[in-house]
Amino acid sequence: MFETIVAGIADTLNAANLCFVLAGVAAGMTAGAIPGVNGPMAIALCIPFSYYMSPVAAIGFLVGLNKGAFFGGAITGVLLNTPGTPEAAATTWDGYPLAVQGKGEKALRMALYASVTGDAFSTLVLIFVAAPLAAVALYMGPPEIFALICLAMTIIAGIGTKSLTRGLIAAAMGVLTGTVGIEPVSAMPRLTFGITELERNISLIPIGIGMLAFSEIIIQLEQHLGQKAAAGPVPLSTRPEDRLLALKEYAACLKTLFRSSVVGTIVGALPGLGAPVASFFAYDQAVKNSRHPESFGKGNLEGIAASESANSAVVAASLIPLFTLGIPGNVASALLIGAFVIHGMIPGPLMFEQNARFIYSVYGNLVIANLLLLGVGRLGLRAFCRAVQVPSNILYPIIIFTCVMGAYLAQYAAFDVTLMLFFTVLAYIMRKFDYSVICLIIGFILAPIWETSLQQVIIASEQSPLMFLTRPVAVMLLALTIYIVVKTVRRNSGINK
Amino acid sequence: MPASQRDITGYCIVILCSLAFLLWLIPGNMPEHPGYGIPASLLPSVAALCMLALALAGLFRCYLTLRKDSQTDKSRLFLPAHPLHLPVFILPCALLMPAMSHAGFIPAGIAFMIIIQLACRQRRPLILVAVAVAPVLAVYATMRFALGVPMP
Repeated sequence: MFETIVAGIADTLNAANLCFVLAGVAAGMTAGAIPGVNGPMAIALCIPFSYYMSPVAAIGFLVGLNKGAFFGGAITGVLLNTPGTPEAAATTWDGYPLAVQGKGEKALRMALYASVTGDAFSTLVLIFVAAPLAAVALYMGPPEIFALICLAMTIIAGIGTKSLTRGLIAAAMGVLTGTVGIEPVSAMPRLTFGITELERNISLIPIGIGMLAFSEIIIQLEQHLGQKAAAGPVPLSTRPEDRLLALKEYAACLKTLFRSSVVGTIVGALPGLGAPVASFFAYDQAVKNSRHPESFGKGNLEGIAASESANSAVVAASLIPLFTLGIPGNVASALLIGAFVIHGMIPGPLMFEQNARFIYSVYGNLVIANLLLLGVGRLGLRAFCRAVQVPSNILYPIIIFTCVMGAYLAQYAAFDVTLMLFFTVLAYIMRKFDYSVICLIIGFILAPIWETSLQQVIIASEQSPLMFLTRPVAVMLLALTIYIVVKTVRRNSGINK
Repeated sequence: MPASQRDITGYCIVILCSLAFLLWLIPGNMPEHPGYGIPASLLPSVAALCMLALALAGLFRCYLTLRKDSQTDKSRLFLPAHPLHLPVFILPCALLMPAMSHAGFIPAGIAFMIIIQLACRQRRPLILVAVAVAPVLAVYATMRFALGVPMP
């Protein structure tokens, strides 16, 4: 056990791995700082390039990218008053007023330290909680896994989207997409329509790039083409008292930082809620617990501390359901599943037995990425602030070219580019009709696990689905699923009234 | 288009697609059942049935609230884009791979970047050329010399 931990940490401290994590953090911060580019989009675009890295370096690079993008989103919010990502919206409320007062750099430093604090807290929780939870999860059989996936999809569709009906429809579309390819029992092609390339099953890469990156760019181009450029970023002051964050100012926010980190960790560990919920909830709690609630929204550092620590705590916490149950908590962890699978790992409780060394190296990567975020953020904050000024008509063509080449690189197949374009069009239509593309992606990822567990139940019970009724945990999970559906439908009809 | 009308249109499209899957695409593209386990068509059929049932339920709910919506909901949520907006970006991407195999990676890539930049309303010639050439050469160098992958 001790040897495995040491070996995992040694893998993390390998020079090449450290370079990739550093590159991931820097690229993530740049991507987050560019208006219109977010973490999941950056991960989707970079997964094909991670093929050429070792598994530890690939996951370290992607984890660094995700962490960097979460902080980078705050740069746009503070300097432009336009949150680059939904989770940075609460940061904007106090960050932009501070920037207008000439204290933009102070606000960004608070955002950086709060991100690092929240992330460190949730990484520690992940390290101490994931292994015991995975040990419990190992006692779950196929009926429990089947019921758990039903519950997870319902939570993601119901809580994570505006409409449960449309969320579930999108998840069903994802399941349908996930069944295209070779059928697991007969090993014969299913729903391939005579297209040989589909017999390899649809890869997550063209879906991720098409639905998260390319369709988002097309929607943004639709909104911004022909419009005058928005006002430039607020200039940063050179006075030391406006630039630097005193230890006293950080210490004054410690209570808020701790409370918000707890909020972010809990929200991140629950599938479907995501960083925006954590950020808004933590901000609300900070206002309620403050002696000067009237100062929020006018440039209070505590507001930035609450929002940023909560949304950054989500990053590591969202890996808890991924490592313990194999279920992605949000879209970034859904994409990480794809990266794990590409490198021969199946996320879930068995990882702790089969790939323990790899798990410890991922933990090491999370800690290193956090330290690098602090270092890179401190040294290069002003440089990253320049990324907000990149004009969209220079940036978007480059992203579109990267989308096409990224889809090709996944399997060196031009057919994957066609698939990526198909899913771009599908996502564009879905976004227009207010359907969640995230539910589709998570449905697509969970479909094979769902089908395999159902197959195992049916084969083990000699074609009797009533086997579920003999498993109390499965019955409880299915009952909880039905309860959430009924509760959400009643809540929605209450809102409509 | 108000939200209710957008939802109705969306549900109708889902109903048509799920019916196409249930009646035509799933029955015609399934392997034989090997005699054990669940049939290959079960999960796709359940997914398509769920889509159908949920869309019908959504449509029914829209019908019940339509009258109320038409009086209160004046918001325009779904603004249809210019009909050529999507093809302008999708078509060059669809043609890029065949063009690369015929004309070569660099000429086809540069032409693609120029078309996409023009679609993004870039009109400054110097930037147009620089942004067309630099990323294509960078990706070519990465793929050819750093990654050593087969070129499209």
